[in-house]
Amino acid sequence: MIKLTKENFDQHKTGIPAVGKNWIKVGMSTCGIAAGADEVYKTFVEEAKKKNLTVDIKKCGCLGMCYAEPLVEVHVEGVPQVIYGKVNKDIAIKILEKHVGTKMLVNDYIFDLSLTMKKVGK
Amino acid sequence: MDKKIVLLKDTSIGAADKTKEYYSLILNLLRDQNLQDSVQVVRVADIGFYDQGLVLKILPGQVTYGRVQESDLLPVITETIQGNKVLDRLALEPNEKQLRIVLRNCGQIDPENFDDYIAADGYAALKKVITEYKPEQVIEQLKASGLRGRGGAGYPTWMKWNFARQVKAEQKYIVCNGDEGDPGAYMDRSVLEGDPHSVIEGMMIGAYAIGASQGYFYIRAEYPLAVERIQKAIAQAYEYGLLGKNILGTDFSFDVEIRLGAGAFVCGEETALLASIEGKRGTPQPRPPYPSIKGLWGKPTVINNVETLANIPVILLKGGAWFGKIGTEKSKGTKVFALTGKIKNSGLIEVPMGTTIRDIVYHIGGGMLASKGIKAVQTGGPSGGVIPKEFLDEPVDYENLQKLGSIMGSGGMIVMDEDDCLVDIAKFYLKFCVEESCGKCAPCRIGGFQMLSLLENITSGKGTASDLAKMRRIALAMQKASLCGLGQTASNPVLSTLKYFAAEYKSHIEDKKCVAGKCRYLLNYQIIPEKCKKCGLCLTNCVFGAITGNREQGYILDPAKCTKCGRCYEVCKFKAINKG
Ligand SMILES: Cc1cc2nc3c(=O)[nH]c(=O)nc-3n(C[C@H](O)[C@H](O)[C@H](O)COP(=O)(O)O)c2cc1C
Ligand code: SF4
Ligand code: SF4
Ligand code: FES
Repeated sequence: MIKLTKENFDQHKTGIPAVGKNWIKVGMSTCGIAAGADEVYKTFVEEAKKKNLTVDIKKCGCLGMCYAEPLVEVHVEGVPQVIYGKVNKDIAIKILEKHVGTKMLVNDYIFDLSLTMKKVGK
Repeated sequence: MDKKIVLLKDTSIGAADKTKEYYSLILNLLRDQNLQDSVQVVRVADIGFYDQGLVLKILPGQVTYGRVQESDLLPVITETIQGNKVLDRLALEPNEKQLRIVLRNCGQIDPENFDDYIAADGYAALKKVITEYKPEQVIEQLKASGLRGRGGAGYPTWMKWNFARQVKAEQKYIVCNGDEGDPGAYMDRSVLEGDPHSVIEGMMIGAYAIGASQGYFYIRAEYPLAVERIQKAIAQAYEYGLLGKNILGTDFSFDVEIRLGAGAFVCGEETALLASIEGKRGTPQPRPPYPSIKGLWGKPTVINNVETLANIPVILLKGGAWFGKIGTEKSKGTKVFALTGKIKNSGLIEVPMGTTIRDIVYHIGGGMLASKGIKAVQTGGPSGGVIPKEFLDEPVDYENLQKLGSIMGSGGMIVMDEDDCLVDIAKFYLKFCVEESCGKCAPCRIGGFQMLSLLENITSGKGTASDLAKMRRIALAMQKASLCGLGQTASNPVLSTLKYFAAEYKSHIEDKKCVAGKCRYLLNYQIIPEKCKKCGLCLTNCVFGAITGNREQGYILDPAKCTKCGRCYEVCKFKAINKG
């Protein structure tokens, strides 16, 4: 493990590989896990492998919409990035097949709050 | 034409959700236009607008339409989807009520991945501070930012830091308060779990500013995942040389340890918390001396809340002046709330200071859960109060909430409707404080107990006209004479409900009635003969022998024997038992 110094800090930062083109983030805070995020995460990892899909499965913290846990955010090239809520095993498989596989959004589970939030930029 | 996506959701309140019908209508229209392969129509669960009828959002481009009628669908397809023209009469403005500063990384990064945090500008503020700033300059930035403590009291962070900085001592400490004991609150837990490095970075910047070489995270043991994530983050920071000796090759050295709280509410109070870290019983001490002068083991110690610390890196990176532009005159930045109660979208929200309660309830919370009207909003937990619906348009900031008889507190916000009894709510919070009182001082220990028994009398129909004055007197004594914030503020929920809902107290005392139907002992059960089918189910279920009769003559309920357990009301299939 390298020790970061004021000299090499920026170099380390630029050297961090960019996230893959396709990724799925699963909200894994206490409330997500209580709602079943563990199983959803496992399903994504196993099924993506089975289906030979190139997609990074990542964990993240609270997305804020705790009423709709488990929450997952999906980014696939050429498809708008969206958040799905109330995801279970079956819906996770559907997301992989439809959203990742055929680049079509899945009905009834999108929680689109993109126009309700400003984030502090870099 | 490029491939388009139409998201849709019927956001009408109080009517059946017609999303599916509109979905089929649009699909048919698209087929008529031969567009079915170039447009995907998607039903969504939440579109971020509420009570705006049918809402459509067209991607790419994010054009959003509200109150769309059936007759609008064809023009939307031909003009907007095909022609890329925005129909102004339908367009909705973005509903951008939230601003994420504290929660900037929550849900974005993997909290267990160090490089995720670095890539999100993590530790860039620390690097800037320890290589370019003198401690005084850090404090100047904080002063310009106007940041105040998010743990409840709202004390200016720069002043606290400045006191500790000015004291000469060979050892100073900084402590992160992650005790979060308010019932219903989980803001700090989410930040610790979702973005642990930002809290560590904030603490390090504070340490540099005051000259501390040792920090402690005090986290309640009931938060195992938060503890685990902070632990991992600390270990990573040590591995990369961001904690320990000569951080980033500078003269700045800093170590961090975790201490677990046993879950007593009073241990969130700063002097009790320090006693607990020292391995003593977690009971409050008189102040002054304030911890920033004499804290842990007698040394200058700054105690900051999790959310306060999570703000620090952003402030130093973007500048205090930038932060100072957000919010109201005396309350800067944002506040994270755990929004719960009778609200559709309960969750964690972050809004600029000065956002109105109405915006929070209706534009972020999505409105009330049932069709029942809103009655009040509770903020500040057991130290806070209620804000009745007349004040929905008041902006949320420290001064204003205080003016209304509540407090900002640490960020619990509970929305209450007609089914909530405010006397019962006051009793709930007071009971919490009585159970959590450490018992060290008499006003809190005895006053709290006495006030609670008065409330118990009132809610069980034994209240008398003089009770309210008695409660006010006790409240005053507790406010004035209690040793710590717990006792000083424990009567706030009672006082604020007395202020706004005196009529509700009166009807409990004089009419022996609870309009919300919450106070069990004030309810009367009756059998309605016209509805009674003489099934006898209530008789077999009443274990108190309050119901007598038989299948021929019907049944009678004897109020004198009834304990108001509610069993008969629940079991009667014909709704023949009246409660009221
Ligand atoms: C009974 C009681 C409980 C408290 N609980 C907490 C708590 O859980 N978390 C917290 O940050 N502050 C809590 N406080 C406030 C702390 O005493 C202290 O003011 C705060 O941690 C300072 O940090 P800040 O200036 O960043 O807000 C509590 C105070 C009292 C009186
Ligand atoms: S006010 Fe209550 S909690 Fe605080 S020191 Fe006194 S008895 Fe203990
Ligand atoms: S409320 Fe309970 S005690 Fe009273 S009549 Fe019904 S079952 Fe019996
Ligand atoms: S903690 Fe799960 S979305 Fe908020």
